Amino acid sequence: MKVSFKVYRQQPQEAPRIATYLLDVEPGNTILECLNRIKWELDGTLAFRKNCRNTICGSCGMKINHRSALACKENVGQEIERFPTDSGTGIPEITIAPMGNMPVVKDLVVDMTSFWDNLEAVDPYVSTKGRKIPEKEFLQTPEARSQLEKSGNCILCGACYSECNAREVNPNFVGPHALAKAQRLVNDDRDTETEARLEKYHEGIQGTWGCTRCYLCNAVCPMGVAPMDRIGEIKQDLLDRKPAHDSRSVRHRKVLIDLVKDGGWIDERKFGLMVMGDYFRDLRGLLEIAPLGLRMLTRGKFPMFFEPSQGTSEVRSLIESVQNLDNQSSQ
Amino acid sequence: MSALSYAYFPGCVAQGACQELYLSTAALAQALDIELIELKKAACCGSGTYKEDSQLLEDTVNARNIALAESLNLPLLTHCSTCQGVIGHVDERLKTAQENDPAYVEQINTLLKKEGGCSPYQGTGEVTHLLWVLVGKYGLDRVKEKVTRSLSGLKCAAFYGCYLLRAQDTLPHDDPFNPTSMEQVFETVGATPILYPGRTQCCGWPISSYAPKESFSLAGKHIQAAIAAGADCLVTPCPLCHLNLDSRQPEVEKVIGQSLGLPILHLPQLVALALGVEPQKLGLDKHVVSTRSVLAKL
Repeated sequence: MKVSFKVYRQQPQEAPRIATYLLDVEPGNTILECLNRIKWELDGTLAFRKNCRNTICGSCGMKINHRSALACKENVGQEIERFPTDSGTGIPEITIAPMGNMPVVKDLVVDMTSFWDNLEAVDPYVSTKGRKIPEKEFLQTPEARSQLEKSGNCILCGACYSECNAREVNPNFVGPHALAKAQRLVNDDRDTETEARLEKYHEGIQGTWGCTRCYLCNAVCPMGVAPMDRIGEIKQDLLDRKPAHDSRSVRHRKVLIDLVKDGGWIDERKFGLMVMGDYFRDLRGLLEIAPLGLRMLTRGKFPMFFEPSQGTSEVRSLIESVQNLDNQSSQ
Repeated sequence: MSALSYAYFPGCVAQGACQELYLSTAALAQALDIELIELKKAACCGSGTYKEDSQLLEDTVNARNIALAESLNLPLLTHCSTCQGVIGHVDERLKTAQENDPAYVEQINTLLKKEGGCSPYQGTGEVTHLLWVLVGKYGLDRVKEKVTRSLSGLKCAAFYGCYLLRAQDTLPHDDPFNPTSMEQVFETVGATPILYPGRTQCCGWPISSYAPKESFSLAGKHIQAAIAAGADCLVTPCPLCHLNLDSRQPEVEKVIGQSLGLPILHLPQLVALALGVEPQKLGLDKHVVSTRSVLAKL
C-alpha cells in the first residue's frame, strides 16, 4: 500500500517545514522501518535517533500522528486506523514530528539535556552513604523488588516529558520521568534516604506538586510505567506526613476530604476559604481570592446556599472506616 | 415513558460555582425527553484527589456512587469530564478486580454493607458522560431532528478535559489523541468546529490554588490558540475546566498580559440553545466572560 509520510524537517533556530515522502509499505511495517527506507532510498539528509528496533533502548521517541511514541513500536496499519487522514488524495498520511518540550537539534533529533539534568536532580541512585558496603550486591526479596517493577520498566525514551503539560509552563518542573524514578527510590528498601528524598520532592512546584494531572504521561508511556500514578504514590507518602497547615498543595487535598465528610458534596465557599485562607490564618491568601468571590457575586454565580448530600452520614462513616484501615496498614 | 433514563450524578461544581451547568443539563434532558433521576445520596467523586490520599478511598466512595445507580438499574450519567474519568475508571478497575482480585471487591463491599448505607457494588452498570449519550445511545441524528435554531455561523472550539479523554482505559467513541465527539455535536447543531492544539490539553485547574501563574499560563495558552484559530467561543464538557477558563479568565489575562474575552460555554448550554431553549433558562447570564457575543450570532 502507498502511504504518504509528512515529516517535519528543521534546523536549529529555524521554523520547521514539512517534507512529504511517498512509500510503498506493508501495514505491519514499523514507523522506524519506514523512516529507515526514507533515509536510505529517498533522502539521506533526514536525521532521527534509533538503535535497538525492539522497544528496549528508548532512542527513537518522536511524535507520530501528534502523540509521542516509539517509532519502533508503532506500525503503519495501526496508525492509519487510529488517525485516518488522506488530504483528499486517497493515499493515507502519517505525520512524524520531533518530540515536544525540548529544542530541535535537527529534524527529529531533539536536545535532551534538560531531560537528563532533571533526572539527575532527583538523585536517581540508591543511597549507599552510611552503609556498610556488603561484599557482594545488596540483597532484596522478590516481594520488595516487585514494589519497583512499574517504575523500574522506564527506558527513559522521553515520551512522557515530551507531552508533559506542566513542563510547558513550569520550566523548573523536573518532569514525569524523573518523578517516576524518584518514586522508585522512595519505595526501594535498600535506600536509606527516604525521608530526605520526600522532603526534597515536596519542595515548591519543581517536584511532586508541579504535576497538573493531565494524564498525558500515562497515556503515551510505551512501557506502562504510568508516571502520573507514580507521582500520586509520592503524594500519598507526603500526605501521610504533612499537616494541612504545611502548604496549600497539602491543604487542597486534606480540606477536600474533610468537606466531603461534612456534606457529601464539596461546599466550594468553604473550600476557597480553607485552602486559600488556611482556616482564616492566611490573610494574603484570603485577599487573593476576594476578587474571584466578588466577581462571582456580581455575575450571580456565587453559590449562596449549600445542600448537603442526603447520604452524608453514610459517606462520613465510610471515609472514616477507610482512613482507619489505611492508618492500620501504614503502622 | 421516556426512551432513555439515567441515574444522574450532578457532581459538586454544578451544584456550586457552575449552577448554570445544572440548569442547562436539566433543560437539555427535558428537551430531548431523557429522564434524569438524581442521585441525592451520592458523594463527591474526589476529582482525582482521593487517590492521592488512598486508592481504597477513591474506590470505596465511588463504588458506593455506582452501587446507588445499580440499585436503580440505571446507567450512571455524569456531565463533568473529571467525574466521568474518576468514576468510570473506578468502575473499570473494580470490574477487572472481580476477575483478578475478588478479595479487594469483597473488602469494598464489606465496607459498603457496614457503613455505606447502600447495596453492594455489582459491576453490572455503566458509567457514561452526557457527551457520549448524545453521540451514542441518543444519537446525533435524533438530536438534529430536534434542532429548531441552527447555530450556523457560530465557530466553536472544543475543550475536552483530561479526565474525559485519558483517565479510562477505553473510550466508547473517541481516540484519546484524536477525539471528534464534540466536533460532531457542533456540526449537528449547525455550528462550525474549530480545531486548535489545546483542545485535548490540560486547563491547569488542579494546580490553580497553589501555582496560579503556571495554572493560568496553561489556560491562557489554549484560549489564545482558540482565538487565533478563529473561535467565537470554547465549549467544554467539564465544569472544572470551565472554572479555570471562564471564572478565572480575568486572572488568566493578567498572567499572559493580553485581553481575551472569549466566552466559555458548557456543552448542554450549546445543544439546548440549538433546540430552542431560551438563554435565560440555561444560565448564560451566569458567566464571568459575557456570552452576549455568542447570542448575538444566533
